[in-house]
Amino acid sequence: MLKSRLTRRRLLGTSAAAAGVTAFHGPWVHNRVYAAATDKPIRIGITSDASGQYANSGASDRRGMHMAIDEFNAKGGVLGRKIEAIHIDTETTPATGSRVAERMISREQCGFLIGAVHSGVANAISQVAQKYGVIYLNTNSSSPTESGKDCHRVKFVWDGNGTNFSKAAVKNSIDSFGKNWMLLTNDYVWGHNTSAATRKLLTEYGGEISEEILIPQGTRDFSSALLKIQQAKPVVVAAAVGGDDQKALRTQVAQLGMGESPAWISNQQDWPDVYGLPLDNLFGVFGTTWYYKLDLPGVAEFVQRYQAAYPDTQMRVPGNVFYNGYMATRELLGAIERAGTTSNVAVIKQLEGHKMPATERMQHHDAWIDPATHQVQQTIYLATANAGTQDKDDMFKILTQSAPEDVLDAGAAEACKLESHADTPTFDA
Amino acid sequence: MTGLAPHLFNGLTLGMLFALIALGFTLIIGVMEVINLAHGALFALGAYFALTILGDWSAGTAFGAWWLGFPLTVRYVAALVLAPILAGCAGMVLERCLRPTYDKVPLYGLLLTFGAALVIEEAIRLLWGTGEKSLALPEAISGAVLVGGLIYSKYKLFAAIFALAAIAAVWLFLERTSYGAIIKAGAHDSEMVRALGYDLAKLRMLVFGFGAGLAGLAGVIMVPIWGLRPHVGVDVVIPAFLIIVLGGVGSFWGAVVASLLVGLTVGITGAYASAWSTMSMYLLLIAVVGVRARGLFGRKSALEN
Repeated sequence: MLKSRLTRRRLLGTSAAAAGVTAFHGPWVHNRVYAAATDKPIRIGITSDASGQYANSGASDRRGMHMAIDEFNAKGGVLGRKIEAIHIDTETTPATGSRVAERMISREQCGFLIGAVHSGVANAISQVAQKYGVIYLNTNSSSPTESGKDCHRVKFVWDGNGTNFSKAAVKNSIDSFGKNWMLLTNDYVWGHNTSAATRKLLTEYGGEISEEILIPQGTRDFSSALLKIQQAKPVVVAAAVGGDDQKALRTQVAQLGMGESPAWISNQQDWPDVYGLPLDNLFGVFGTTWYYKLDLPGVAEFVQRYQAAYPDTQMRVPGNVFYNGYMATRELLGAIERAGTTSNVAVIKQLEGHKMPATERMQHHDAWIDPATHQVQQTIYLATANAGTQDKDDMFKILTQSAPEDVLDAGAAEACKLESHADTPTFDA
Repeated sequence: MTGLAPHLFNGLTLGMLFALIALGFTLIIGVMEVINLAHGALFALGAYFALTILGDWSAGTAFGAWWLGFPLTVRYVAALVLAPILAGCAGMVLERCLRPTYDKVPLYGLLLTFGAALVIEEAIRLLWGTGEKSLALPEAISGAVLVGGLIYSKYKLFAAIFALAAIAAVWLFLERTSYGAIIKAGAHDSEMVRALGYDLAKLRMLVFGFGAGLAGLAGVIMVPIWGLRPHVGVDVVIPAFLIIVLGGVGSFWGAVVASLLVGLTVGITGAYASAWSTMSMYLLLIAVVGVRARGLFGRKSALEN
């Protein structure tokens, strides 16, 4: 009887503890509520490809994110909390992307998801992220649908999309080359939507498409397509082919000496897909959002920081994929700081409409995050091969730069229906 | 019809290249009944060995000063000969590791070769880096050539002819030499061959090495068309496997005919139904195997009547 003594003190103590516990497990619709523990790290889930068509780009994307994270951690983290990152391979496969996103949110306690190159994967991840209310940064995928019909309140798109690049390229190319075009389209969402954007613009300017050849993902032999192009004799071929497929295409076109005629427009050219190729393979005109030799303040120093952080990588200079990964991560962490909290609603509000001056972006024009579509509106560059260069890294010759307002994806705002804040679960990392 | 002819020609060329890829694979399955999933990795290894033999990395060293002095054609021929031999040696090492699995359920051997494929691919990344590389080609076989008013890749034609020569050479070896006879006998009845006094272990090692060497040779030939990156072998195993099942497991001519069929199918669909081009070889497989389960030239199973 004396063994268990229910003293008044004990009873009061236990009730107080129980009350405290129930206070935290109240009837709110929060996903998780943590005490304002400033020593709890912020966990970022890096959802990028380490295998498949976009493995190389995925690696570059991750390096950009890590450099930004390391810079913030060196300053003491964000809101006094250290930033941790974990990465799981999304295998350039949408189904894997969904699985990875689920696991990162529900098991690995990630508060933010960053990373994408393949638009199908990005779309799959963002649906999972929206379900939980976790902010997701689509760093490098360029299907117009990502900021159009597949837009989400929690998703932010950091790359120029197929429409932006087409707008920059199409008018110029019709004027320079002519109106009879052919399309070469990678048979998945980015390829289709990019080619659709090109087709729309071309028709607007009076051109016509004689044929569209679909290239299934994983195609290694382009001889049939190249024979057809020779048979049809278009003046321009607009190619929306990416990753390893694109490398094989470039090699084979160069072998046939078909790089000059017809003229080739390659929408956007990711740096990891061309770095190290012989310059002959870099035929045609293509778009990019950034280049390591832009004559702008901060660029040279940024390149040096990359080289210091990654002395052992094959890629001796960074490109657009690294740049987007870095910028997206840096701006997210900055937004969290300005918001003063990791609550998703507050951070989203900081990102929507956020203006980024040209000097900070190391681009020619100011950039901003469109609040209606959540896509970063930025300078779009057109480039061609830097023929005659002695520096094997300096592969691009920048031809033109377009201000973001001139290459706006007008259809996106119409197609995009962001979920309301009420419909988006609140989430606090 | 004139529109079709170039695509038929292209399809046959493609078929020859597929035959080269499938050759090493079919030999190993036919003789040793081992499904060598490391075939793709050995393909890639052969290509990377060729890259090293060509010697561009040695510029600035004393060795480089001597070796790079030779014309590219000489170095390329050296690579074409030596790289497959080195790949063959790698194959023989792999075979050594496979020995404990021979008397067990075939799954063990399959898993081991699968693991070996992963290990070899990662070793390539560590030794040669992850970036895209390219194999330099001699002037004589690069560039374009006009056939019937259309541009074809000179190199591809060279590769197809080389494949044809390689197939002929392998056939001659199997059919007209005593070594070939022993290999074929070993495929048919390994116990009897052992009873006749031949060292079966050595035979298996040599056959595996030979198959691996052919995989390496295919790598050296295909990589200037496909590009050279550590995971280039991944695109090889499935088509190779598909071709030998289509042609009949263990049948040499089956593999050749199946390769031509696959090449034609992929080439023609690439031109006229491009979205189906990679799918078409699988549909072909389903169509053929659905009707004739042993493949085109496969051995009749005891269960069939």
